[in-house]
Amino acid sequence: MRSLVMIPAYNEECNILNTIADIRRHAPEMDYIVINDCSTDHTEEILKENGIPYLNHPVNLGIGGGVQSGYRYAKDNGYDIAIQFDGDGQHEAQYLHTLIAPIETDAADFAIGSRFLENEGFQSSFLRRFGINFLSGMIHLLCGIRVNDVTSGMRAVNRSLIEAFAQDYAQDYPEPEAILAAGLKGARILEIPVQMRERQGGTSSINALRSVYYMIKVTLALFFSAMSAPRDRRKLHE
Amino acid sequence: MSKTLQIAMLLAVLLYFILLIRMLKKKTLNLKYTLLWLFSGVLMLLLATFPGFLDWFSKLVGIYEPTNALFAIIFFCVIIILMSLTAIVSKLNEKNKRLIQSVALLEKRVRELEERT
Repeated sequence: MRSLVMIPAYNEECNILNTIADIRRHAPEMDYIVINDCSTDHTEEILKENGIPYLNHPVNLGIGGGVQSGYRYAKDNGYDIAIQFDGDGQHEAQYLHTLIAPIETDAADFAIGSRFLENEGFQSSFLRRFGINFLSGMIHLLCGIRVNDVTSGMRAVNRSLIEAFAQDYAQDYPEPEAILAAGLKGARILEIPVQMRERQGGTSSINALRSVYYMIKVTLALFFSAMSAPRDRRKLHE
Repeated sequence: MSKTLQIAMLLAVLLYFILLIRMLKKKTLNLKYTLLWLFSGVLMLLLATFPGFLDWFSKLVGIYEPTNALFAIIFFCVIIILMSLTAIVSKLNEKNKRLIQSVALLEKRVRELEERT
């Protein structure tokens, strides 16, 4: 099975090389591609000089647009598994194989690297945990699937979800929405315990002020996608 | 509705149509997105020509002053036009995103072709 690691990057000149080295060390057989979302720093030069395969957005699209570019690339190039992996050093490549194992054996369509199954490694603040639990409950309510770490950006999907996400993927704050979209399609979703680090450099895309907006926007988005979903429910396995 | 208001409104609607048609002729406006503006203009024209409708309408929905009904109708038209604008922007945003992604995918292929030659 051919796997592609997709690394969305926006102004990650400090972290991107470490991330790539980490992936090369732990998963040398996997292909990877960086999606440079119109960075304003030297991310592109670094990618070019080091011969790292990358896509270059001519304008900034946000994380969801970047990830979707990755899914479109995976679809066009016939990959069987696509893995989302943050370029900021939070994710550890040593978990890549455990993450894709259930997809390789066709035990799941969608594997999510979760910090909260064994509660080890970096755990995020109390308020953030509260928000994550709230969204987790909502997704459970709307599609009957329990995912603990709904905002985890480390995840792997199989070919049918690659195609679904290449077609339709939320543009901003897409992680919980993608889980619900897959759940409503009848995907088998599995959480894999992983550890994450606190980010190594640069600044997070979610600051304190934006988190209220984040919660409102994601809650509404989940409601509306659940409302428009019954039409394509259970399509994945027919 | 007073005769003065009626005349003022007819003049305003006339000016509105002159502006609209001029912009359409110069292709500053795309007809597709101007239909709602045209319909609202026609509605205003009808209201100014047949003020009896406003009296009937304000009684029907319980507005004391027919001119207030006029404001309400104009406001409704504006809201519908704004909603259609948001819909247009949303659609454009989606198309724009797809386009940007396609450019990025093509750019990678071009870059690799150039490196090979």
